[in-house]
Amino acid sequence: MAALENPADLDEREREALETLLKRLADDEFVLAERYTEWQVRAPSLESDLALANNAQDELGHARLWYDVLEDLGFEEQELVYERDPADFRHATLVELPFEEGDWADAVLRSYLYDAAEELRLEALEDSSYPKIADRVGKIQSEEAYHLEHAQNWVERLADGEEGHQRLQDALDRLFPHALTLFEPVDPDVETDIVDLGLRDATLEELGEEWLSIVVPYLESLELELPVSSQVDDDTFEITEEMLPEKRGRDGSHTDAWADLHDELTHTYRDLGRSETTKIMEKPE
Amino acid sequence: MDLNTVKERAGPREFSPADDLPREYREAATRMIEFHANSEIMGAYLERPFIRQAPSIDRKLAFSAKVQDEIGHGQLLYRAAESLGVKTREEMLDDLANGDGKFLNCFHYPLKSWVEIPMISFFVDGAAMRRQATLRRTSWEPYAHAMDKVCFEEGFHVKHGEDILKELMTGSRAEQQRTQEAFEEWWPRIIQFFGPTDDKSTHHDFAASVGLKQQSNDELRDAFLDQYIPKARKHGLEIPDEPRIRERDDGTYAVEEGDLDWDEFFTIAKNDYEPGLGQINGRKQAQEAVQWVRETIEDDATTAGGHAPQAAD
Repeated sequence: MAALENPADLDEREREALETLLKRLADDEFVLAERYTEWQVRAPSLESDLALANNAQDELGHARLWYDVLEDLGFEEQELVYERDPADFRHATLVELPFEEGDWADAVLRSYLYDAAEELRLEALEDSSYPKIADRVGKIQSEEAYHLEHAQNWVERLADGEEGHQRLQDALDRLFPHALTLFEPVDPDVETDIVDLGLRDATLEELGEEWLSIVVPYLESLELELPVSSQVDDDTFEITEEMLPEKRGRDGSHTDAWADLHDELTHTYRDLGRSETTKIMEKPE
Repeated sequence: MDLNTVKERAGPREFSPADDLPREYREAATRMIEFHANSEIMGAYLERPFIRQAPSIDRKLAFSAKVQDEIGHGQLLYRAAESLGVKTREEMLDDLANGDGKFLNCFHYPLKSWVEIPMISFFVDGAAMRRQATLRRTSWEPYAHAMDKVCFEEGFHVKHGEDILKELMTGSRAEQQRTQEAFEEWWPRIIQFFGPTDDKSTHHDFAASVGLKQQSNDELRDAFLDQYIPKARKHGLEIPDEPRIRERDDGTYAVEEGDLDWDEFFTIAKNDYEPGLGQINGRKQAQEAVQWVRETIEDDATTAGGHAPQAAD
Protein backbone atom coordinates (compact mmCIF):
# COMPACT_ATOMS: atom_id res chain seq x y z
CA MET A 1 0.00 0.00 0.00
CA ALA A 2 1.25 3.45 -0.87
CA ALA A 3 2.43 5.48 2.07
CA LEU A 4 0.50 8.66 2.82
CA GLU A 5 3.64 10.78 2.99
CA ASN A 6 2.61 14.36 2.67
CA PRO A 7 -0.32 15.70 4.72
CA ALA A 8 -0.91 18.40 2.08
CA ASP A 9 -1.58 15.74 -0.56
CA LEU A 10 -4.27 13.93 1.38
CA ASP A 11 -7.76 13.90 -0.04
CA GLU A 12 -10.87 14.46 2.07
CA ARG A 13 -11.40 10.79 2.82
CA GLU A 14 -7.79 10.21 3.79
CA ARG A 15 -7.74 13.25 6.02
CA GLU A 16 -10.86 12.23 7.83
CA ALA A 17 -9.61 8.71 8.41
CA LEU A 18 -6.28 9.96 9.73
CA GLU A 19 -7.89 12.57 11.95
CA THR A 20 -10.36 10.07 13.37
CA LEU A 21 -7.68 7.52 14.14
CA LEU A 22 -5.41 10.06 15.78
CA LYS A 23 -8.14 11.55 17.93
CA ARG A 24 -9.07 8.12 19.23
CA LEU A 25 -5.45 7.54 20.19
CA ALA A 26 -4.65 10.97 21.60
CA ASP A 27 -7.87 11.49 23.53
CA ASP A 28 -7.68 8.06 25.19
CA GLU A 29 -4.15 8.70 26.42
CA PHE A 30 -4.83 12.28 27.45
CA VAL A 31 -7.95 11.61 29.47
CA LEU A 32 -6.52 8.48 31.09
CA ALA A 33 -3.44 10.44 32.16
CA GLU A 34 -5.68 13.14 33.56
CA ARG A 35 -7.47 10.56 35.69
CA TYR A 36 -4.23 8.88 36.80
CA THR A 37 -2.88 12.16 38.16
CA GLU A 38 -5.70 12.05 40.73
CA TRP A 39 -3.64 9.40 42.49
CA GLN A 40 -0.65 11.67 42.92
CA VAL A 41 -0.14 12.25 46.64
CA ARG A 42 -3.03 9.82 47.29
CA ALA A 43 -1.69 6.39 46.40
CA PRO A 44 -1.33 3.66 49.05
CA SER A 45 2.43 4.18 49.53
CA LEU A 46 5.11 6.59 48.40
CA GLU A 47 6.42 3.89 46.05
CA SER A 48 3.08 3.24 44.35
CA ASP A 49 2.56 7.00 44.17
CA LEU A 50 5.78 7.41 42.22
CA ALA A 51 4.98 4.47 39.95
CA LEU A 52 1.53 5.69 38.97
CA ALA A 53 2.76 9.25 38.51
CA ASN A 54 5.28 7.81 36.12
CA ASN A 55 2.58 6.05 34.11
CA ALA A 56 0.48 9.20 34.06
CA GLN A 57 3.38 11.14 32.58
CA ASP A 58 4.05 8.40 30.03
CA GLU A 59 0.43 8.49 28.87
CA LEU A 60 0.49 12.27 28.75
CA GLY A 61 3.67 12.07 26.72
CA HIS A 62 1.96 9.68 24.28
CA ALA A 63 -1.03 12.01 24.01
CA ARG A 64 1.41 14.77 23.21
CA LEU A 65 2.94 12.65 20.44
CA TRP A 66 -0.43 11.94 18.86
CA TYR A 67 -1.71 15.50 19.19
CA ASP A 68 1.51 16.58 17.56
CA VAL A 69 0.75 14.38 14.54
CA LEU A 70 -2.69 16.01 14.40
CA GLU A 71 -0.89 19.33 14.06
CA ASP A 72 0.22 18.04 10.63
CA LEU A 73 -3.43 18.39 9.67
CA GLY A 74 -3.45 22.03 10.71
CA PHE A 75 -4.78 21.70 14.25
CA GLU A 76 -3.27 23.53 17.18
CA GLU A 77 -3.14 22.41 20.77
CA GLN A 78 -5.76 24.86 21.96
CA GLU A 79 -8.21 23.58 19.34
CA LEU A 80 -7.41 19.99 20.20
CA VAL A 81 -7.77 20.31 23.96
CA TYR A 82 -8.53 23.66 25.56
CA GLU A 83 -11.14 25.02 23.17
CA ARG A 84 -12.60 21.78 21.86
CA ASP A 85 -16.22 21.08 22.72
CA PRO A 86 -16.29 18.21 25.25
CA ALA A 87 -18.74 16.39 22.96
CA ASP A 88 -16.11 16.33 20.20
CA PHE A 89 -13.67 14.27 22.23
CA ARG A 90 -13.39 10.70 20.97
CA HIS A 91 -11.97 8.80 23.94
CA ALA A 92 -13.61 5.63 25.24
CA THR A 93 -15.77 6.14 28.33
CA LEU A 94 -13.45 3.75 30.23
CA VAL A 95 -10.85 6.49 30.64
CA GLU A 96 -13.17 9.29 31.71
CA LEU A 97 -14.88 7.62 34.69
CA PRO A 98 -13.88 9.16 38.02
CA PHE A 99 -12.15 7.16 40.74
CA GLU A 100 -13.89 6.74 44.05
CA GLU A 101 -11.53 7.91 46.78
CA GLY A 102 -9.30 5.02 47.81
CA ASP A 103 -10.48 2.66 45.08
CA TRP A 104 -7.04 1.42 44.11
CA ALA A 105 -8.63 -1.75 42.69
CA ASP A 106 -10.33 0.39 40.06
CA ALA A 107 -7.04 2.11 39.22
CA VAL A 108 -5.07 -1.07 38.66
CA LEU A 109 -7.86 -2.98 36.94
CA ARG A 110 -8.66 -0.10 34.63
CA SER A 111 -5.00 0.12 33.86
CA TYR A 112 -4.91 -3.60 33.02
CA LEU A 113 -8.00 -3.45 30.77
CA TYR A 114 -6.66 -0.41 28.97
CA ASP A 115 -3.04 -1.51 28.64
CA ALA A 116 -4.05 -4.93 27.27
CA ALA A 117 -6.05 -3.15 24.55
CA GLU A 118 -3.29 -0.64 23.97
CA GLU A 119 -0.80 -3.41 23.29
CA LEU A 120 -3.00 -4.85 20.53
CA ARG A 121 -3.81 -1.48 19.07
CA LEU A 122 -0.15 -0.49 18.84
CA GLU A 123 0.75 -3.77 17.16
CA ALA A 124 -1.84 -2.98 14.52
CA LEU A 125 -0.17 0.40 13.92
CA GLU A 126 3.41 -0.85 13.55
CA ASP A 127 3.15 -0.82 9.73
CA SER A 128 0.82 2.13 9.41
CA SER A 129 0.76 3.75 5.98
CA TYR A 130 1.21 7.12 7.69
CA PRO A 131 4.94 6.96 8.43
CA LYS A 132 4.90 9.26 11.45
CA ILE A 133 2.46 6.94 13.20
CA ALA A 134 4.61 3.88 12.54
CA ASP A 135 7.70 5.78 13.74
CA ARG A 136 6.16 6.70 17.06
CA VAL A 137 4.70 3.31 17.88
CA GLY A 138 8.04 1.82 18.94
CA LYS A 139 8.76 4.37 21.62
CA ILE A 140 5.28 4.05 23.03
CA GLN A 141 5.38 0.24 23.03
CA SER A 142 8.49 0.10 25.19
CA GLU A 143 6.73 2.11 27.90
CA GLU A 144 3.39 0.37 27.60
CA ALA A 145 4.94 -3.06 28.17
CA TYR A 146 5.99 -1.86 31.58
CA HIS A 147 2.54 -0.45 32.34
CA LEU A 148 0.89 -3.79 31.57
CA GLU A 149 3.32 -5.61 33.84
CA HIS A 150 2.76 -3.07 36.62
CA ALA A 151 -1.02 -3.42 36.32
CA GLN A 152 -0.93 -7.22 36.29
CA ASN A 153 1.34 -7.35 39.34
CA TRP A 154 -1.11 -5.27 41.26
CA VAL A 155 -4.25 -7.04 40.01
CA GLU A 156 -2.78 -10.39 41.01
CA ARG A 157 -1.70 -9.13 44.39
CA LEU A 158 -5.13 -7.67 45.16
CA ALA A 159 -6.97 -10.73 43.83
CA ASP A 160 -5.14 -12.76 46.43
CA GLY A 161 -6.84 -11.13 49.39
CA GLU A 162 -10.50 -11.22 50.34
CA GLU A 163 -11.15 -7.49 50.36
CA GLY A 164 -8.99 -6.91 47.30
CA HIS A 165 -10.83 -9.62 45.38
CA GLN A 166 -14.23 -8.18 46.22
CA ARG A 167 -13.13 -4.72 45.23
CA LEU A 168 -11.71 -5.99 41.95
CA GLN A 169 -15.00 -7.73 41.21
CA ASP A 170 -16.96 -4.54 41.91
CA ALA A 171 -14.61 -2.54 39.71
CA LEU A 172 -14.84 -5.14 36.95
CA ASP A 173 -18.63 -5.10 36.98
CA ARG A 174 -18.57 -1.35 36.61
CA LEU A 175 -15.67 -1.00 34.17
CA PHE A 176 -16.08 -3.92 31.80
CA PRO A 177 -18.88 -2.47 29.62
CA HIS A 178 -16.92 0.77 29.35
CA ALA A 179 -13.73 -1.09 28.42
CA LEU A 180 -15.60 -2.52 25.43
CA THR A 181 -16.11 0.99 24.09
CA LEU A 182 -12.38 1.00 23.31
CA PHE A 183 -13.39 -1.00 20.23
CA GLU A 184 -16.42 1.05 19.23
CA PRO A 185 -16.40 2.98 15.97
CA VAL A 186 -16.47 6.76 15.73
CA ASP A 187 -18.25 6.31 12.41
CA PRO A 188 -18.46 2.86 10.76
CA ASP A 189 -17.60 4.12 7.26
CA VAL A 190 -14.58 6.05 8.46
CA GLU A 191 -13.41 3.04 10.45
CA THR A 192 -13.55 0.98 7.26
CA ASP A 193 -11.44 3.63 5.54
CA ILE A 194 -8.85 3.54 8.35
CA VAL A 195 -8.19 -0.12 7.59
CA ASP A 196 -8.60 0.14 3.80
CA LEU A 197 -6.07 2.96 3.68
CA GLY A 198 -3.63 0.92 5.73
CA LEU A 199 -3.50 3.38 8.58
CA ARG A 200 -4.16 0.44 10.91
CA ASP A 201 -4.05 -3.16 9.79
CA ALA A 202 -6.74 -4.70 11.97
CA THR A 203 -10.42 -3.89 12.25
CA LEU A 204 -11.99 -2.89 15.55
CA GLU A 205 -13.92 -6.18 15.57
CA GLU A 206 -10.71 -8.13 15.25
CA LEU A 207 -9.02 -6.12 17.97
CA GLY A 208 -12.01 -6.47 20.28
CA GLU A 209 -12.19 -10.23 19.80
CA GLU A 210 -8.50 -10.63 20.39
CA TRP A 211 -8.68 -8.50 23.50
CA LEU A 212 -11.53 -10.60 24.89
CA SER A 213 -9.57 -13.77 24.15
CA ILE A 214 -6.77 -12.42 26.36
CA VAL A 215 -8.49 -10.62 29.23
CA VAL A 216 -11.38 -13.02 29.80
CA PRO A 217 -9.28 -16.13 30.54
CA TYR A 218 -6.81 -14.06 32.53
CA LEU A 219 -9.45 -12.53 34.79
CA GLU A 220 -11.21 -15.89 35.10
CA SER A 221 -7.96 -17.41 36.28
CA LEU A 222 -8.13 -14.94 39.17
CA GLU A 223 -11.64 -16.18 39.90
CA LEU A 224 -13.29 -13.00 38.78
CA GLU A 225 -16.68 -13.18 37.10
CA LEU A 226 -17.36 -11.63 33.72
CA PRO A 227 -20.45 -11.19 31.58
CA VAL A 228 -18.77 -13.40 28.95
CA SER A 229 -17.24 -16.75 29.63
CA SER A 230 -14.40 -18.62 27.99
CA GLN A 231 -16.02 -21.88 29.11
CA VAL A 232 -19.16 -21.61 27.00
CA ASP A 233 -17.72 -20.96 23.61
CA ASP A 234 -13.98 -20.53 23.55
CA ASP A 235 -13.32 -19.63 19.94
CA THR A 236 -15.86 -16.93 19.21
CA PHE A 237 -15.48 -13.99 21.50
CA GLU A 238 -17.59 -11.17 20.23
CA ILE A 239 -18.68 -7.78 21.51
CA THR A 240 -22.44 -7.55 21.21
CA GLU A 241 -24.80 -4.63 21.51
CA GLU A 242 -26.22 -5.68 24.87
CA MET A 243 -22.75 -5.80 26.45
CA LEU A 244 -22.18 -2.11 25.76
CA PRO A 245 -22.99 0.83 28.00
CA GLU A 246 -25.32 3.63 26.97
CA LYS A 247 -22.56 6.22 26.58
CA ARG A 248 -19.71 5.10 24.39
CA GLY A 249 -17.38 8.03 24.08
CA ARG A 250 -16.23 7.33 20.54
CA ASP A 251 -19.48 8.68 19.09
CA GLY A 252 -19.33 11.83 21.22
CA SER A 253 -21.75 10.61 23.87
CA HIS A 254 -20.08 10.85 27.27
CA THR A 255 -20.89 10.36 30.93
CA ASP A 256 -21.50 13.46 33.07
CA ALA A 257 -18.11 12.93 34.67
CA TRP A 258 -16.45 13.98 31.43
CA ALA A 259 -18.14 17.38 31.31
CA ASP A 260 -16.93 18.05 34.86
CA LEU A 261 -13.43 16.87 34.12
CA HIS A 262 -13.21 18.95 30.95
CA ASP A 263 -14.46 21.96 32.86
CA GLU A 264 -11.79 21.55 35.52
CA LEU A 265 -8.91 20.96 33.18
CA THR A 266 -9.73 23.98 31.05
CA HIS A 267 -10.41 26.18 34.09
CA THR A 268 -7.17 28.16 34.18
CA TYR A 269 -7.07 28.57 30.41
CA ARG A 270 -10.55 30.09 30.45
CA ASP A 271 -10.11 31.97 33.72
CA LEU A 272 -7.03 33.78 32.43
CA GLY A 273 -8.66 34.41 29.07
CA ARG A 274 -5.86 32.63 27.22
CA SER A 275 -6.03 32.10 23.49
CA GLU A 276 -2.98 29.91 23.09
CA THR A 277 -1.06 27.29 25.00
CA THR A 278 2.55 27.42 26.13
CA LYS A 279 5.01 24.93 24.75
CA ILE A 280 8.08 24.50 26.86
CA MET A 281 9.44 21.32 25.34
CA GLU A 282 10.82 20.85 21.88
CA LYS A 283 8.50 19.44 19.27
CA PRO A 284 8.74 15.66 19.15
CA GLU A 285 10.79 14.30 16.23
CA MET B 1 30.06 9.05 71.47
CA ASP B 2 29.16 11.71 74.04
CA LEU B 3 27.72 15.09 73.22
CA ASN B 4 30.98 16.96 73.71
CA THR B 5 32.74 14.71 71.24
CA VAL B 6 29.89 15.28 68.78
CA LYS B 7 30.30 19.03 69.15
CA GLU B 8 34.06 18.83 68.72
CA ARG B 9 33.85 16.65 65.64
CA ALA B 10 30.78 18.35 64.12
CA GLY B 11 31.58 19.09 60.48
CA PRO B 12 30.09 18.51 57.04
CA ARG B 13 28.96 14.88 56.52
CA GLU B 14 30.81 13.88 59.66
CA PHE B 15 28.35 11.35 61.11
CA SER B 16 26.75 8.27 59.59
CA PRO B 17 24.70 5.29 60.81
CA ALA B 18 28.03 3.61 61.64
CA ASP B 19 28.54 6.09 64.50
CA ASP B 20 27.12 5.60 67.94
CA LEU B 21 25.50 8.97 68.50
CA PRO B 22 23.86 10.38 71.61
CA ARG B 23 20.09 10.52 71.81
CA GLU B 24 20.06 14.35 71.80
CA TYR B 25 21.74 14.44 68.42
CA ARG B 26 19.58 11.72 66.91
CA GLU B 27 16.39 13.35 68.12
CA ALA B 28 17.33 16.82 66.89
CA ALA B 29 18.34 15.44 63.50
CA THR B 30 15.13 13.40 63.26
CA ARG B 31 13.00 16.44 64.08
CA MET B 32 14.74 18.51 61.43
CA ILE B 33 14.66 15.91 58.64
CA GLU B 34 11.13 14.78 59.45
CA PHE B 35 9.98 18.40 59.18
CA HIS B 36 11.69 18.64 55.81
CA ALA B 37 10.19 15.35 54.56
CA ASN B 38 6.71 16.30 55.76
CA SER B 39 7.04 19.61 53.95
CA GLU B 40 7.75 17.81 50.68
CA ILE B 41 4.59 15.76 51.07
CA MET B 42 2.36 18.68 52.09
CA GLY B 43 3.80 20.87 49.34
CA ALA B 44 2.95 18.16 46.83
CA TYR B 45 -0.52 17.83 48.35
CA LEU B 46 -1.11 21.54 47.91
CA GLU B 47 0.08 21.65 44.32
CA ARG B 48 -1.49 18.48 42.97
CA PRO B 49 -4.80 20.06 41.82
CA PHE B 50 -2.79 22.32 39.52
CA ILE B 51 -1.55 19.39 37.48
CA ARG B 52 -5.12 19.29 36.24
CA GLN B 53 -5.56 23.04 36.03
CA ALA B 54 -2.32 23.72 34.18
CA PRO B 55 -3.15 25.70 31.03
CA SER B 56 -1.15 23.60 28.54
CA ILE B 57 -0.05 20.01 28.03
CA ASP B 58 3.62 20.85 28.54
CA ARG B 59 2.89 22.71 31.76
CA LYS B 60 0.77 19.77 32.91
CA LEU B 61 3.59 17.32 32.23
CA ALA B 62 6.13 19.49 34.03
CA PHE B 63 3.80 19.95 36.96
CA SER B 64 3.02 16.28 37.30
CA ALA B 65 6.76 15.59 37.24
CA LYS B 66 7.35 18.22 39.90
CA VAL B 67 4.75 16.74 42.23
CA GLN B 68 6.27 13.32 41.62
CA ASP B 69 9.76 14.65 42.38
CA GLU B 70 8.51 16.00 45.69
CA ILE B 71 7.09 12.64 46.70
CA GLY B 72 10.49 11.20 45.73
CA HIS B 73 12.22 13.77 47.93
CA GLY B 74 9.91 12.84 50.78
CA GLN B 75 10.80 9.19 50.30
CA LEU B 76 14.52 10.00 50.34
CA LEU B 77 14.27 12.23 53.38
CA TYR B 78 12.19 9.80 55.42
CA ARG B 79 14.89 7.25 54.72
CA ALA B 80 17.58 9.67 55.94
CA ALA B 81 15.49 10.34 59.06
CA GLU B 82 14.73 6.67 59.66
CA SER B 83 18.43 5.86 59.63
CA LEU B 84 18.78 7.77 62.92
CA GLY B 85 16.86 5.01 64.64
CA VAL B 86 14.39 7.28 66.43
CA LYS B 87 11.23 6.90 64.35
CA THR B 88 10.10 4.70 61.48
CA ARG B 89 8.69 6.11 58.25
CA GLU B 90 5.27 4.72 59.16
CA GLU B 91 5.36 6.58 62.46
CA MET B 92 6.31 9.81 60.75
CA LEU B 93 3.59 9.46 58.08
CA ASP B 94 1.03 8.58 60.75
CA ASP B 95 2.03 11.61 62.79
CA LEU B 96 1.63 13.78 59.72
CA ALA B 97 -1.89 12.40 59.23
CA ASN B 98 -2.77 12.85 62.92
CA GLY B 99 -1.80 16.48 62.91
CA ASP B 100 1.27 15.88 65.09
CA GLY B 101 3.78 16.16 62.26
CA LYS B 102 5.13 19.64 61.58
CA PHE B 103 5.84 21.18 58.18
CA LEU B 104 6.59 24.48 56.47
CA ASN B 105 4.38 27.47 57.21
CA CYS B 106 3.78 28.19 53.50
CA PHE B 107 2.07 24.85 52.94
CA HIS B 108 -0.63 25.62 55.49
CA TYR B 109 -2.20 28.25 53.24
CA PRO B 110 -4.70 27.39 50.53
CA LEU B 111 -3.60 27.58 46.91
CA LYS B 112 -6.55 28.89 44.94
CA SER B 113 -5.44 29.91 41.51
CA TRP B 114 -2.76 29.43 38.87
CA VAL B 115 -1.46 32.96 39.45
CA GLU B 116 -0.35 31.78 42.89
CA ILE B 117 1.73 28.98 41.44
CA PRO B 118 4.93 31.01 41.06
CA MET B 119 4.63 32.08 44.71
CA ILE B 120 5.30 28.45 45.60
CA SER B 121 7.24 27.23 42.56
CA PHE B 122 9.53 30.22 42.28
CA PHE B 123 9.72 32.02 45.61
CA VAL B 124 9.11 29.29 48.19
CA ASP B 125 11.08 26.74 46.19
CA GLY B 126 13.78 29.34 45.67
CA ALA B 127 13.90 29.94 49.41
CA ALA B 128 14.05 26.19 49.96
CA MET B 129 16.92 25.94 47.50
CA ARG B 130 18.93 28.45 49.52
CA ARG B 131 18.44 26.53 52.73
CA GLN B 132 18.99 23.15 51.10
CA ALA B 133 22.21 24.23 49.47
CA THR B 134 23.66 24.88 52.93
CA LEU B 135 22.37 21.52 54.14
CA ARG B 136 24.63 19.70 51.73
CA ARG B 137 27.19 20.38 54.44
CA THR B 138 25.08 19.15 57.36
CA SER B 139 26.77 16.77 59.77
CA TRP B 140 24.32 13.85 59.23
CA GLU B 141 25.74 12.28 56.08
CA PRO B 142 22.52 10.60 54.82
CA TYR B 143 20.77 13.98 55.01
CA ALA B 144 23.56 15.73 53.12
CA HIS B 145 23.51 12.97 50.54
CA ALA B 146 19.75 13.33 50.03
CA MET B 147 20.28 17.08 49.55
CA ASP B 148 22.52 16.45 46.53
CA LYS B 149 19.66 14.90 44.60
CA VAL B 150 17.00 17.23 46.00
CA CYS B 151 18.97 20.36 45.08
CA PHE B 152 19.59 19.08 41.58
CA GLU B 153 15.88 18.51 40.89
CA GLU B 154 14.74 21.57 42.79
CA GLY B 155 16.82 23.67 40.41
CA PHE B 156 14.50 22.61 37.56
CA HIS B 157 11.40 23.37 39.59
CA VAL B 158 12.55 26.89 40.35
CA LYS B 159 13.38 27.45 36.68
CA HIS B 160 9.93 26.25 35.68
CA GLY B 161 8.38 28.40 38.40
CA GLU B 162 10.24 31.43 37.11
CA ASP B 163 9.08 30.68 33.58
CA ILE B 164 5.46 30.61 34.77
CA LEU B 165 6.00 33.91 36.57
CA LYS B 166 7.54 35.45 33.49
CA GLU B 167 4.65 34.27 31.34
CA LEU B 168 2.08 35.74 33.74
CA MET B 169 3.95 39.03 34.10
CA THR B 170 4.22 39.44 30.33
CA GLY B 171 0.61 38.31 29.79
CA SER B 172 -2.58 40.32 29.75
CA ARG B 173 -3.00 43.29 32.08
CA ALA B 174 -5.41 41.21 34.18
CA GLU B 175 -2.88 38.42 34.52
CA GLN B 176 -0.23 40.87 35.65
CA GLN B 177 -2.54 42.50 38.14
CA ARG B 178 -3.71 39.23 39.63
CA THR B 179 -0.14 37.99 39.90
CA GLN B 180 0.85 41.17 41.74
CA GLU B 181 -2.08 40.67 44.14
CA ALA B 182 -1.04 37.08 44.77
CA PHE B 183 2.50 38.28 45.40
CA GLU B 184 1.32 40.79 47.97
CA GLU B 185 -0.63 38.10 49.76
CA TRP B 186 2.24 35.61 49.75
CA TRP B 187 5.24 37.87 50.29
CA PRO B 188 5.11 38.00 54.13
CA ARG B 189 4.59 34.23 54.28
CA ILE B 190 7.55 33.71 51.98
CA ILE B 191 9.75 35.81 54.26
CA GLN B 192 8.51 33.82 57.24
CA PHE B 193 9.64 30.67 55.48
CA PHE B 194 12.96 31.17 57.24
CA GLY B 195 11.32 31.09 60.63
CA PRO B 196 11.59 33.48 63.54
CA THR B 197 14.65 35.62 64.23
CA ASP B 198 17.59 33.84 65.75
CA ASP B 199 16.83 35.06 69.28
CA LYS B 200 13.33 33.54 69.09
CA SER B 201 14.30 30.28 67.41
CA THR B 202 13.97 27.41 69.88
CA HIS B 203 16.06 24.78 68.17
CA HIS B 204 18.76 26.74 66.46
CA ASP B 205 21.60 26.77 69.01
CA PHE B 206 21.77 23.06 69.52
CA ALA B 207 21.32 22.19 65.83
CA ALA B 208 24.10 24.61 64.94
CA SER B 209 26.42 23.37 67.65
CA VAL B 210 26.29 19.78 66.37
CA GLY B 211 26.66 20.81 62.74
CA LEU B 212 23.14 19.90 61.64
CA LYS B 213 22.31 23.46 60.68
CA GLN B 214 24.86 25.42 58.73
CA GLN B 215 23.39 28.92 58.69
CA SER B 216 21.09 30.80 61.02
CA ASN B 217 17.55 31.85 60.09
CA ASP B 218 18.64 35.48 59.85
CA GLU B 219 21.56 34.75 57.56
CA LEU B 220 19.41 32.66 55.25
CA ARG B 221 16.55 35.16 55.18
CA ASP B 222 18.78 38.11 54.41
CA ALA B 223 20.62 36.19 51.69
CA PHE B 224 17.26 35.26 50.16
CA LEU B 225 16.10 38.88 50.14
CA ASP B 226 19.35 39.97 48.50
CA GLN B 227 18.80 37.50 45.73
CA TYR B 228 15.05 37.54 45.26
CA ILE B 229 14.08 41.19 45.63
CA PRO B 230 15.98 42.05 42.43
CA LYS B 231 14.47 38.99 40.71
CA ALA B 232 10.94 39.98 41.70
CA ARG B 233 11.52 43.51 40.40
CA LYS B 234 13.04 42.20 37.19
CA HIS B 235 9.77 40.41 36.45
CA GLY B 236 7.79 43.57 37.13
CA LEU B 237 6.54 42.79 40.63
CA GLU B 238 6.37 45.60 43.16
CA ILE B 239 7.63 44.82 46.64
CA PRO B 240 4.81 45.57 49.11
CA ASP B 241 5.33 48.41 51.61
CA GLU B 242 4.90 46.01 54.50
CA PRO B 243 6.81 44.31 55.94
CA ARG B 244 9.29 47.18 55.75
CA ILE B 245 12.58 46.18 54.23
CA ARG B 246 15.71 48.17 55.01
CA GLU B 247 18.47 48.51 52.53
CA ARG B 248 21.80 48.44 54.35
CA ASP B 249 24.73 50.66 53.37
CA ASP B 250 26.31 47.77 51.47
CA GLY B 251 23.17 47.32 49.35
CA THR B 252 21.95 44.19 51.17
CA TYR B 253 18.45 43.93 52.65
CA ALA B 254 17.00 43.18 56.05
CA VAL B 255 13.35 42.84 57.02
CA GLU B 256 11.60 44.65 59.88
CA GLU B 257 10.55 41.61 61.89
CA GLY B 258 7.90 43.44 63.87
CA ASP B 259 5.87 43.96 60.68
CA LEU B 260 5.28 40.25 60.28
CA ASP B 261 2.37 38.40 61.86
CA TRP B 262 4.09 36.09 64.33
CA ASP B 263 0.86 35.10 66.07
CA GLU B 264 -0.31 33.58 62.83
CA PHE B 265 3.10 31.99 62.31
CA PHE B 266 3.07 30.27 65.70
CA THR B 267 -0.56 29.20 65.30
CA ILE B 268 0.54 27.54 62.08
CA ALA B 269 3.57 26.01 63.79
CA LYS B 270 1.18 24.29 66.21
CA ASN B 271 -0.92 22.98 63.28
CA ASP B 272 -3.84 25.05 64.55
CA TYR B 273 -4.32 27.32 61.53
CA GLU B 274 -7.63 26.55 59.84
CA PRO B 275 -6.73 26.12 56.15
CA GLY B 276 -3.65 24.10 57.07
CA LEU B 277 -5.71 21.89 59.32
CA GLY B 278 -8.08 21.25 56.42
CA GLN B 279 -5.13 20.22 54.29
CA ILE B 280 -3.75 17.92 56.98
CA ASN B 281 -7.16 16.28 57.34
CA GLY B 282 -7.71 16.07 53.59
CA ARG B 283 -4.50 14.14 53.25
CA LYS B 284 -5.40 12.00 56.24
CA GLN B 285 -8.71 11.07 54.66
CA ALA B 286 -6.98 10.13 51.40
CA GLN B 287 -4.52 7.96 53.35
CA GLU B 288 -7.28 6.25 55.30
CA ALA B 289 -9.13 5.48 52.09
CA VAL B 290 -6.20 3.35 50.89
CA GLN B 291 -5.48 1.79 54.27
CA TRP B 292 -7.01 -1.45 52.99
CA VAL B 293 -4.34 -1.67 50.28
CA ARG B 294 -1.54 -1.19 52.79
CA GLU B 295 -3.03 -3.93 54.93
CA THR B 296 -3.20 -6.26 51.93
CA ILE B 297 0.43 -5.54 51.15
CA GLU B 298 1.50 -6.05 54.76
CA ASP B 299 -0.25 -9.42 54.93
CA ASP B 300 1.56 -10.35 51.75
CA ALA B 301 4.87 -9.23 53.13
CA THR B 302 4.38 -11.12 56.37
CA THR B 303 3.57 -14.37 54.64
CA ALA B 304 6.38 -13.86 52.14
CA GLY B 305 8.94 -13.51 54.93
CA GLY B 306 8.48 -9.95 56.10
CA HIS B 307 10.21 -8.02 53.38
CA ALA B 308 9.49 -4.45 52.48
CA PRO B 309 6.54 -4.37 50.05
CA GLN B 310 8.07 -3.16 46.84
CA ALA B 311 7.61 -5.91 44.29
CA ALA B 312 4.46 -4.47 42.78
CA ASP B 313 5.59 -0.90 42.86
